[in-house]
Amino acid sequence: MKNIMMPEPHEILSVLKETQAEYTFRVACDAETQHGQFFMLSIPKIGEAPISVSGKGPGYVEFTIRKVGRLTEGVFGLKTGDTLFMRGPYGNAFPVEQFENKNLVFITGGTGLAPVRTLINHFYDRPEICKSVHLISGFKDVDAVLFTDDIRRFKEKFHMTATLDNTTAPGFETGLVTEHIKKIPFASFDDFNVVVVGPPVMMHFAARELIANRVDESKIWVSFERKMSCAVGKCGHCKINETYVCLEGPVFNYVKAKELLD
Amino acid sequence: MNARSFYLDLMERREALYHYLDQIDERKAPDPEAAITDLAADYAKIFLAAGISQGSAAFPFESVYTSPDRIIMQDAWETVRKRYESVGLIRNGEASGLFEDHIALELEFMAFLCEESRRDPDCSDWLIKQREFLRDHLLNWVPAFTADVKRYADTAFYKGIANITEGFLRFDREILEGINAPLDEGIENQKEVGETAFSLTTANMDQILQELKKEYRIFAPKRYEKRGAKSSTDLIRYGEIHSVREIVHEIQSDFSPKEIYYPITQTMIRFQENQSIEEPASDSRGVLIFARPCDINGIRRLDNIFLENGGHGDIYYERLRDKVRFVMMECGGGWDDCFCVSMETNKTEDYSLAVRFDQENLIVFVKDQAFEPYFSEEKSKEFMDENRKVAPENADFMPQFVTTNKKKVRLPKIQNHQQLKEVSDLEFWKEFDEQCIGCGGCSAVCGTCSCFDTVDIIYDETSSDGERRRVWSSCMLDTYTMTAGGSRFRKTPGANMRFKALHKVYDYNLRFGGDEHMCVGCGRCDKRCPKEISFFDIICRLSEELESTACNTTATEVPGNSIAAVDEPAIRADISEGLGAENPNRKVER
Ligand SMILES: Cc1cc2nc3c(=O)[nH]c(=O)nc-3n(C[C@H](O)[C@H](O)[C@H](O)COP(=O)(O)OP(=O)(O)OC[C@H]3O[C@@H](n4cnc5c(N)ncnc54)[C@H](O)[C@@H]3O)c2cc1C
Ligand code: SF4
Ligand code: SF4
Ligand code: FES
Repeated sequence: MKNIMMPEPHEILSVLKETQAEYTFRVACDAETQHGQFFMLSIPKIGEAPISVSGKGPGYVEFTIRKVGRLTEGVFGLKTGDTLFMRGPYGNAFPVEQFENKNLVFITGGTGLAPVRTLINHFYDRPEICKSVHLISGFKDVDAVLFTDDIRRFKEKFHMTATLDNTTAPGFETGLVTEHIKKIPFASFDDFNVVVVGPPVMMHFAARELIANRVDESKIWVSFERKMSCAVGKCGHCKINETYVCLEGPVFNYVKAKELLD
Repeated sequence: MNARSFYLDLMERREALYHYLDQIDERKAPDPEAAITDLAADYAKIFLAAGISQGSAAFPFESVYTSPDRIIMQDAWETVRKRYESVGLIRNGEASGLFEDHIALELEFMAFLCEESRRDPDCSDWLIKQREFLRDHLLNWVPAFTADVKRYADTAFYKGIANITEGFLRFDREILEGINAPLDEGIENQKEVGETAFSLTTANMDQILQELKKEYRIFAPKRYEKRGAKSSTDLIRYGEIHSVREIVHEIQSDFSPKEIYYPITQTMIRFQENQSIEEPASDSRGVLIFARPCDINGIRRLDNIFLENGGHGDIYYERLRDKVRFVMMECGGGWDDCFCVSMETNKTEDYSLAVRFDQENLIVFVKDQAFEPYFSEEKSKEFMDENRKVAPENADFMPQFVTTNKKKVRLPKIQNHQQLKEVSDLEFWKEFDEQCIGCGGCSAVCGTCSCFDTVDIIYDETSSDGERRRVWSSCMLDTYTMTAGGSRFRKTPGANMRFKALHKVYDYNLRFGGDEHMCVGCGRCDKRCPKEISFFDIICRLSEELESTACNTTATEVPGNSIAAVDEPAIRADISEGLGAENPNRKVER
């Protein structure tokens, strides 16, 4: 019987500093992952935490981690060649096939760009399978901007709005993501989906704004963050009503998401 | 064992005697006369204590084996005489040297009953009499007597006779059970093949426990003096036991048996340098637990979480759980706080043995055949000490279940999501913001609360080795939903209480289906709560509110919407605080 709590050691292949508080770690890993899934990363003697896959390629996966507490701080202390313990991948994924041949909108807040990055790249690499991609990515300020290279690339191929909460900088607009939603030409789309990922408050208000723009609830997809201690449906922490976010999530259609009462 | 195997056993015993007789056959043996002298001497030694310094022997009277002082003409002699008289028999002159409870007369009485059974066309009465006499008398002492004969005998002859006598009685009992089965309707017929009950003294049960301990660790509710919630009270909690006297069966245990198969803290992984090593199971023995029906039903809830949820099993739980066998303690009628009948957890079939405590004696019902040898005469001879007075014997006993409680509750019937929202919004949850202190004690005592945290431990600052454990948690702790930076998805004790209550009587059932709710109605949480919050009252309240108009109006905006949680820093409490008051591992974690 497989031990679902057992992490395995993986080698860190490279570390890229995105911002002062966010680094991207490339880790040797052959596991098949789907867009939106996450791993439990751990450091012995410190603990475990769920982290989304922010990039993947042959023989590796990437994690973009924000330093906020004990484990994440521990990971920040690691360098190329060091060992990171992992188990996964866990959780469901974005329904990619359902997104194909339609228009697609991404609205992300801060580190929320990380869990959708592989999905965006999926359509970046195959522009022919998607009618159009609109992207609104909000950041606190210019120092908090992640994936600078990607944003440059995305701007070339997609309708991309990168925005800072209340400051200005070259190449960035100003204002919360919600303020830019009305720019999206929903009326011109015959079929579309909207992916919203970010802090809980941001997701809440973005969804409201979308609905105000006559977007049908069933077109909205969100990814939840909840406290997780196991990621395999045992510890109970992520449970909302009869739903376990680690099992049935983290990706939810808004029709379901709005029903979940913490 | 069935009648056939008893028969084969008897034949084997007979072979041994044949072998002896063959040896003293006058045509082969050099001096058959000497053999006769040997037998006479052996007779005197075994039955008359001739030549034995302490004067001890196998005295062939039931009274000797069933009276405390091992003397003749005691109670057994009285009752046997009454049995004989009840069918019109009295001792005649020829047997004047013998008391009625002598083995020869008891066996002859059985022969008489057999003959009557054969003659009387309506034999059922006679068959029952045979069976009763066997159970109440012959089997009650002859096995101990024949064991003594074998001990004192020097010749294979008397050892052989003793063997055959004992083997025949047990064979006879099996035959009678077979014949009688269709005669008795009701209780008897509910027993499946291999299900037998035994009545035994605590001393005998202790010897069985000792023997069982070779294969099982045995757990039962025990008394821990002055360790209760208030320092003057005792704590009743599960622990390993070594004798029946340790078992607290007259009151409910403060804690459920959960901690045996789901320990309060459990090491899962050891880290050494760059390796993660699965913590091996600590003991290969089985786990035998004395538990009540509600708690036995509780383990199924944990099974659903640990073995089923997510489609994969948890190895640490599974490897312990696989070893668990239950000794169901018959429940005497429930306590003030329990409501098992409402939760439909008052009955269970999931047990290997059932036990009724009857003053100094126990009646044990053996449901699982694997346990039968421990109670069988043959096996018990190997481990019961020689002074035992009463061997395990057949007794009619079918475990009874509680069918009514003082407390009854109607379960809330939440029909749809709209109603769930309404229930979630009820004002009364807010009452707990004031009352509940979020200590988590209610979860600690609950047999079905399954949540845990993981914690990593370092042995010392310089060591590169450490371990990852899991530790009981509770959704009532204010840190339960807390993520980095201190934000929480449920922020108040009232919200936690709503979450817990709905999980216990709604969510779990919705997820796993069937009729089963997570709460088994043991009432322990009510007893434990330092603020006297009654979970029972909460369920009642929920049902009332649902039935009243409060929950039949259309709800407006739900403030608790899950993606609208707003960050709010909180003080981090030590998670083990409420749960770990009795946690023996607590110091290690610090
Ligand atoms: C599905 C999912 C995907 C995530 N993806 C990312 C990501 O790609 N990048 C990133 O930077 N962060 C991500 N997070 C958040 C990340 O898990 C937390 O920031 C991290 O757990 C903080 O751990 P810590 O030990 O540093 O903080 P502490 O405050 O020391 O946390 C202690 C423990 O609390 C738990 N915990 C704390 N915060 C969270 C949280 N937000 N979610 C779940 N558990 C938490 C963890 O078990 C953690 O070990 C994700 C969370 C979830 C649920
Ligand atoms: S919730 Fe209370 S009554 Fe129900 S099983 Fe748990 S401790 Fe017993
Ligand atoms: S035992 Fe009582 S006070 Fe403690 S968490 Fe449970 S309900 Fe609240
Ligand atoms: S994270 Fe443990 S149950 Fe979902």
